[in-house]
Amino acid sequence: MSRYAVNTLLYRLKKDPDFRARFAADRAVALADADLSDAEREALVHWDPRQINALGGYLHLLMSIPGLEGH
Amino acid sequence: MGRIVFAGAMSHVLDPDYYGTHCGPRGRQMVQELMALVGEMGTRMAAAEPDALVVVADDHLNVFSFNAVPAICVRIGTHVERMEQDHAVAFDRLLDRLPRRYLLHEALANTVLEEGLEADFDLTMSWEAPLDHAFLSPVTALVGDGTVPPLVPIFVNCFVAPQPTPRRCFAFGQHLARVVARHPWNVAVIATGGLSHFPELTFARVGESDVAFDRKIMAWLGAAEHDALCALTMKTLHEAGGHELLNWMVAAGAAAPARAREVYFGELGRINLAAVEWELP
Repeated sequence: MSRYAVNTLLYRLKKDPDFRARFAADRAVALADADLSDAEREALVHWDPRQINALGGYLHLLMSIPGLEGH
Repeated sequence: MGRIVFAGAMSHVLDPDYYGTHCGPRGRQMVQELMALVGEMGTRMAAAEPDALVVVADDHLNVFSFNAVPAICVRIGTHVERMEQDHAVAFDRLLDRLPRRYLLHEALANTVLEEGLEADFDLTMSWEAPLDHAFLSPVTALVGDGTVPPLVPIFVNCFVAPQPTPRRCFAFGQHLARVVARHPWNVAVIATGGLSHFPELTFARVGESDVAFDRKIMAWLGAAEHDALCALTMKTLHEAGGHELLNWMVAAGAAAPARAREVYFGELGRINLAAVEWELP
């Protein structure tokens, strides 16, 4: 179920400007309530798109989050 | 009764600036060549005077995620909106220049849905799904300054595993053809996307395509080798980056047994751009 948690977070980052702003301000705080493994949380907090992708994050989401697009 | 009067398929990121940025001047030139040829396809489509345009394309985790991911979804209703996104990625920013609403062919969409369920296709319906570049870029390139026929958008899940099989997508295309044959409308069908890119959907392989795989697909489409196409597995498509071939399989099924004529094939490294037009009787 962890893949679901990662991808719903990515989807929120893409679609929800308020959440995206909270994430930009303090990633760890924005993710505090998320049901993530330690590896997922670390990859998201340090914004490592390749690692997030390796952990199950969908490529198309990772390539299309405003301000965080990875190519 | 009705006929499929035009069937084609083409890549759907039709944005010279995007390819200029990621692939240089050659990328820009190639997509401009493709867009010009798609425009010529559109001239032939318009001459056939379709009552409706069925557009088969995929969701890039932009519409349905994640409360439900339909395998195949028919967009019903009277109108459809183009997607509006804050800070859209490059090729979706092009949508801002397009009309906000498009007319749907409500009767055909409802018939595809209702007769599909009667024929054991467990289709999803949506009254709200908006359209992004996967639908509207090819439609715009086809129609140019002309009038967009009433649309029947059909979403195929190309990216969120498990996806429908190539065989099932082809069979759904055959269902479209049967529906058209039973009813009075003349219909154009296009499928969008591809060819291969983003193999395995992994960052490590962004920038790769699979020329040998795509050449094989084009040859099979050209020879109407539908058994070979239907025998493809999602694993094969995933490894090659051929996910969006699922959309093309629907059009191939709708046009069967016709052969597809190659309109364009261009190797770009990051993706192979292509367009085909089926040689309908």
